[in-house]
Amino acid sequence: MKKYVYLSTGKELAGAILFGLCSIAQAGFLPEEIQVHGFLTQGFFHSSDNNVYGQSDDGISPGLTEIGLNAAYQPFNRLRFAAQGLYRRGGAVDDSSVRLDYGLADLTLWTYKSGQIGIRGGRIKIPFGLYNETRDVPFTHPTILLPQGIYFDRSRSLLRSADGGSLYIDQRTDYGNFTFKFNVGSPLGNHQEIRSSILGPNAQGEFDAEPGIATQLSYEINGGEYIFAVSYMDLQLDYQPLAAEPLSSGKAHIQPLLFSAQYNGEKFTLTAEYDYRWNELSHFGPLLQDFNSITESWYIQGGYQFLTQLQATVRYDVLYNNKDDKTGKRAAAFGLPNHIAYATDWTFGLRYDINSSWMLRADYHRIHGTAWLSQEDNPDRQLTVQDWDLYGLQLSFKF
Amino acid sequence: MPGYVYDKLLVNCLLAGIIATVYSPVADAVNIIVNQTVPVAPYSLVDTRAIFTMQQRFWPDGEPIKVFVFPDNNTAHKDFAKNNLNMFPHQLRRVWDRMVFSGTGSAPVQLDSEQEMIDKIADTPYSIGYLSGRPKNEKIRVFEYR
Repeated sequence: MKKYVYLSTGKELAGAILFGLCSIAQAGFLPEEIQVHGFLTQGFFHSSDNNVYGQSDDGISPGLTEIGLNAAYQPFNRLRFAAQGLYRRGGAVDDSSVRLDYGLADLTLWTYKSGQIGIRGGRIKIPFGLYNETRDVPFTHPTILLPQGIYFDRSRSLLRSADGGSLYIDQRTDYGNFTFKFNVGSPLGNHQEIRSSILGPNAQGEFDAEPGIATQLSYEINGGEYIFAVSYMDLQLDYQPLAAEPLSSGKAHIQPLLFSAQYNGEKFTLTAEYDYRWNELSHFGPLLQDFNSITESWYIQGGYQFLTQLQATVRYDVLYNNKDDKTGKRAAAFGLPNHIAYATDWTFGLRYDINSSWMLRADYHRIHGTAWLSQEDNPDRQLTVQDWDLYGLQLSFKF
Repeated sequence: MPGYVYDKLLVNCLLAGIIATVYSPVADAVNIIVNQTVPVAPYSLVDTRAIFTMQQRFWPDGEPIKVFVFPDNNTAHKDFAKNNLNMFPHQLRRVWDRMVFSGTGSAPVQLDSEQEMIDKIADTPYSIGYLSGRPKNEKIRVFEYR
């Protein structure tokens, strides 16, 4: 009870700061070199079975609250500082935390008529696919939940941001614009969900992320009417078992390769992404033999803008944790339900942009499989159900 | 036979008429305007788009570009995006939001009225914006691009 009161005042305080800064920013009190922006979002979820962002099964979970606030300061023409704080509460996985989402210095090394080259250092968002860099900003993607086969919320600590450096190159041509990013850094956050997704619910040690690589090449034609991108990451996690644990200090090596394509018309958008991920587990000891697998996930998504403010989205999303074991035989051998190995998700979403600051949207999902359900929200996997419905409602604000 | 030719002619004329009404009078391009300090150079559509998507950040003389726009739902903004940049307002918004919320860039400064735009462009060296009318201010020049 005490905890709840504390959380609630923390949130209200953050909200008050957000609205205060919003009015300052809009009233133009800030000097021109400083820009302040922010967003706030509250999501509600209900599911027929299984839990998403808290107790959504047989109830309504007010499970996802996010408040983001960022500032950018440009003291010199070629040097820029930017930082964003993020408050997030997302079910049992993310229990009300305030974090530095990004905080970086950006130095433009070379700028010329058709492009630029620069470096960034600090805490940097990870470029991965079409949505990852702004995955927590509701306005930048069409449905409440991103396709979970690729943009896992449960393993978001690997995808959120990394401490390190980045090289970027922008090149404009008459045939379109190329952007290349090469990031080196240590992914941050709590890797408990990754531990359970890799080692199962009984592992108790800690995963630490080694410095990894994230790189992306994107090509945009006609100001983003057509977008094509290839993203690749090379991540390694080192496991520190508890003393009493039967597992040894092993390594998990994860390499996702993601292809993205998007068409953005006046009213119609079509998006598809395909993820091919190599997973390698080694040195975990006799209880867990060295094991290689390939995770495969893809989705196709169509959107149509019926009115200027009203957009509908339909998506089909597929995930196989191990493409050579699509029915989950290995999971069953470990005593887990076989539907933990896969998930297919039909999503129907409606987005209503009330004005340029406020947005309301609703999602309906028909899901077959439980591969992307979080362990924290579903501690007993035997209680999870293969075929389930998920309903979401979300209100968001930005300035 | 002549009846068939006549019908075909009629269909063609009807199509031409529809195409003409759909395409010709709608091209309400606005005037892109700059402060008089902005260097004159052979700017292309690619350059102009890069300026308004905040990717080209410096003028050819090395001075930083200051960009002013109207809100997304403003008629002049829609005309500007569609007819000057050959883009849609939602494409511009996508680019700006991505930069602002990932820390990789800044959004243009948003203004609310044509008078505010005239004042800002006149008072801010190296600035660029747009107007549905023609600017009557000696500190402002219409921006030429191919």
